[in-house]
Amino acid sequence: MELRKALFNIASLSDLGGEITSEKDFQEKLKSFLHVVLGTFLASSGAIACRDRPDGRIVFAERKGFEKLAPQEIDLSPLLAAAKNEPYRPDGGSSLRAEGAEAVVPLWVKDDFIGFILLGAKFTAEPYTPEDFEMLVVFARQIAIALKNHALFLDLTEKLEENRKLYEEMRRIYHDTLQAFAAAIDAKDVYTRHHSQRVARYSVAIARELGWSEHDIEGIYVAGFLHDVGKLVISNELLNKRTPFTPEEIEEVRRHSLVSYKIISQIRFPWKDIEKIIRHHHERLDGTGYPDALKSEDLSEGVKILALADSFDAMTSQRAYREKMDVQKALDELKNCLHRQFDDRVLLAFCRVLDKEIRGELPEPDILPHLDRESDLSVISSLLQGLIRELSDNDADG
Amino acid sequence: MSPSSFQVTSRLIDDVAIIYPRGYLNNLSGENIVSECARHAQAGVRKIIVNFRDTDLINSIGISFLLTVMEDLRDAGGTLCFSGMKKAHLDTFEMLGLTKYFLLFTDEDAALRALGGGQV
Repeated sequence: MELRKALFNIASLSDLGGEITSEKDFQEKLKSFLHVVLGTFLASSGAIACRDRPDGRIVFAERKGFEKLAPQEIDLSPLLAAAKNEPYRPDGGSSLRAEGAEAVVPLWVKDDFIGFILLGAKFTAEPYTPEDFEMLVVFARQIAIALKNHALFLDLTEKLEENRKLYEEMRRIYHDTLQAFAAAIDAKDVYTRHHSQRVARYSVAIARELGWSEHDIEGIYVAGFLHDVGKLVISNELLNKRTPFTPEEIEEVRRHSLVSYKIISQIRFPWKDIEKIIRHHHERLDGTGYPDALKSEDLSEGVKILALADSFDAMTSQRAYREKMDVQKALDELKNCLHRQFDDRVLLAFCRVLDKEIRGELPEPDILPHLDRESDLSVISSLLQGLIRELSDNDADG
Repeated sequence: MSPSSFQVTSRLIDDVAIIYPRGYLNNLSGENIVSECARHAQAGVRKIIVNFRDTDLINSIGISFLLTVMEDLRDAGGTLCFSGMKKAHLDTFEMLGLTKYFLLFTDEDAALRALGGGQV
């Protein structure tokens, strides 16, 4: 019989261990802990009390019976004075005894008072034995650690949430700053208002269509916003000049991508090569661009995306020296400059995403809201379909 | 059957409710056995047979729920019979001193005959 009892106790401890390590919701776990204890010690009633959050007052986390017992009315001093995790029988005059508690175990982890376990009379009406109390110590230690771990987990979760909110706030401030910066750049030239913002949005749309990660998409978004930051050092008169530039003026205007690079290189961005994307956004695949006359194989996909987004917006925007193009004409121009200036995969992605936006397949369009409201979308859509077919065939061939 | 799989069904023969716990009586779904017995007790049934023929496991959580069943029926002045218990479960109940709180039968028919209920 002793052996059978020992085996039963071991099995019960294993039941408790199984519940502690289960993936259940913690409240369900607590209920299971209580039933393991009730079943092991044949108690008709019982409760597990622990500290509530965030004020730390003692509450019943789970109970069977003891409904009339209010946790805040329990005198904790005997519990706190008792040996840690050691069960005892409450004094005859105490409220716990009056409510039927036959055993109380204060739960501690090191110097932290975690809560307590209450047990009512046994179903069999037999008293709790010293062996029961010895066994109860083992249960109490495990339950105390489980409660403590859960409290630590909740602390960490709260801190994580605080950090997440802080990060989101910083990110919002960061993006607001970026937008303010972009507005300052674009304000230099009355014809390029919101240009940086549009280039950023177009670049994001293309990058997403090409399957970029959200992290890298944010990088190209920032590059789009800041690609013309070097224009801040070019005089307003030159930027807004209505007559054709002289060769010297062209050189001056072209300096902006190098100046942008120098400015951006001073900032430690969490995105790789953002300064290079900005430096090379006026390069061409055939090597006739500036500032380094690099060819396609030396240009990253980010450069190719930004170059196309920048050109498309420049084409479809009014300039001091020319009228804006309609979207159809701009698409023709992009196609005509394929391989010389623009990458076919990037143009294909641009066409696909714009087509999806026109067909209403994307909940938050990035390109469509910025296009000329006079545009005939059905004509653009059919033009895009043709381009997509053509570029897809090239893609399959190549 | 998965360790968390536990179902309770029941039927009424005359004034006797027969409860069929199936699977593993080792988790909180075991509470269903308490509610099923309570449902019959509330309808006035005072004779309950729990047929453990298809109960594969009873652990400490299961014992806790069975204690509630025993207690509820004892308080209501009813009669509780267990039938079809596996030897290992019966040995545990004996060791815990619980066998005096229910009548034990090898099978459901024997329990029904003892309670004077209808034939199966």
